[in-house]
Amino acid sequence: MSPLDWIVLAVTLSGIITYGLYKSKTTKNLEGYFLSNRSFSSSLILLSVMGTQASAVTFLSAPGQAYTDGMRFVQYYLGLPLAMVVLCITFVPIFHKLKVYTAYEYLEKRFDSKTRTFTAGLFLLQRGLSTGISIYAPSIILSSLFGWNIYLTNIFMGGLLIIYTVSGGARAVAYTQQFQFIIIILGMVTAACMVVHLLPDGVGLMDTLRVSGRLGKLNVITSGVKEQGFDWSDRYNIWSGLIGGFFLALSYFGTDQSQVGRYLTARSVAESRLGLLLNGMIKVPMQFCILLVGALIFTFYQFNQAPLSFNQSMVEKVSATPKADSLRHMQAEYSALSEQKRELVHSFIRGHQQGMVDEAVSAELKKVNAATDQLRTHFKTMARNTVAGDANDTNYIFLRFVVDYMPKGLVGLLIAIIFLAAWGSIAAALNSLASSTVVDIHKKFFQKGGCTDREDYSISKWYTLGWGIFSIAVAQFAGNAGSLIELVNILGSLFYGVILGIFLVAFYCKNIYGNATFWSAVLVEGVVMILFWQSDLGFLWLNVIGAVGVVLASYLLHATLFSKRLSAKT
Amino acid sequence: MIVPPDTQQTQEKVPLFPSWNYWYALVTGWLLLLIALFFFITNRFA
Repeated sequence: MSPLDWIVLAVTLSGIITYGLYKSKTTKNLEGYFLSNRSFSSSLILLSVMGTQASAVTFLSAPGQAYTDGMRFVQYYLGLPLAMVVLCITFVPIFHKLKVYTAYEYLEKRFDSKTRTFTAGLFLLQRGLSTGISIYAPSIILSSLFGWNIYLTNIFMGGLLIIYTVSGGARAVAYTQQFQFIIIILGMVTAACMVVHLLPDGVGLMDTLRVSGRLGKLNVITSGVKEQGFDWSDRYNIWSGLIGGFFLALSYFGTDQSQVGRYLTARSVAESRLGLLLNGMIKVPMQFCILLVGALIFTFYQFNQAPLSFNQSMVEKVSATPKADSLRHMQAEYSALSEQKRELVHSFIRGHQQGMVDEAVSAELKKVNAATDQLRTHFKTMARNTVAGDANDTNYIFLRFVVDYMPKGLVGLLIAIIFLAAWGSIAAALNSLASSTVVDIHKKFFQKGGCTDREDYSISKWYTLGWGIFSIAVAQFAGNAGSLIELVNILGSLFYGVILGIFLVAFYCKNIYGNATFWSAVLVEGVVMILFWQSDLGFLWLNVIGAVGVVLASYLLHATLFSKRLSAKT
Repeated sequence: MIVPPDTQQTQEKVPLFPSWNYWYALVTGWLLLLIALFFFITNRFA
């Protein structure tokens, strides 16, 4: 990075920390620290909810995902708007009416103490690990690209935001998220414009769309149906997106405290609802645009030679092994293919501009792309068998492009954006982990006698700090993880379905009580784990199985083992 | 027993529309429009 990039990075990050500290003044009690006295408007709720969901992984992995697998990943978000509607009808009014601090508090009012503790425990486990990955994901990429020490990068990535998160609680988190999100969107728009600007003269946006479409990257909607019928192992198609994505989004926004904690800060039910509904309208097109950046970068690399692996450190490591000769041979072949690709894509576009689609050129272009893909796969296999490190380079594609082709200053801004995106989601996660630990565990089991507002405030700050240190520790031990955006989503899908099932029983199955629900949840969580390890089922379906499984098992246990008399609350 | 409150129970003023149901229809309609647009893009450029 150039000195100008370092200056831009330092100014942006220190500006956010200063702003976070400036906005840290809050009432020194639980409601002030965790809910900012329920005072936020819908616009702040919207940006806070979006900033919490969109982590650094979103901006790093999504363009790479489009580059390698096409834009069909956007289908993952199709269930989200419908989930927002259900949330606004059911979850939001109940949480506001009961004036809870955490979503799990409601479960004790509705069921019993053990169901609340079990659900809070699942959340803390899942969110604690995910937050560690959220720190590690951008750190490993930045450290590989710039040669930074991974342990120090983790500490830098997860440590600086702790300053304002511990100091200002929910208020500092929301205000910084608002600022961060605006910078992120501006940066991504600039990146997209730069990709188009860097294309050869005479090649416009429509031409790039034609190329990426013809090469299978604009597969925005897919049916999941193959020759043998519906493919249940296909991760992203319209049905898994609408159904599985709906359950995942409902669970994430309705039962994950990192999101519930955001809209509980609204000054009214209407402000919460409006923020969530606007999120439902903006999220899908926003994700589409981020993926489109990846598709544009893919087309850009039709005109310019892409690296054999976007993770350059892996290439360097393999070069230092006895496989160096094979690698040189592979790179020579790759360069020749890239040259062929460049000529073919020019002739494909010329044909289109003259109104003549040359199918032979198009078929040849596809063939050459398949050959380069095959070489990239060979390299990954060779790298995996030869050296330690992340052979999957999906997460490196966007930043490699930024570092190689963006002008000075803009590189620093885009690196800052990665930090800001990470901080937005990590800060909300730490705040929610602390609130659930304090409200659902500490005050319930370790502090039954009650304490002053000051003591509550002080304990909350210590727990926020503690979770921050825990998350950094998880990041230090995180290993090779493939596509990190998928890993975070898979981790969520292991628990979210069951948690959602518990809440669905609570909201909609009036005659079912604590014991039946609790044991159903334990049972179904076991089934979800077995399915995950033993089957090829696409992970989005685990959300459906978890949620529907808990509801059905609760009915079954209620009708058989737990009669109303036995399972009713005392 | 806590039951899911319906939209009628909420007394707060709904922004822009007479009731929240209009907002829910707007979000659902917007989603359908996006799916149609994505479907068009897929077919147009594939």
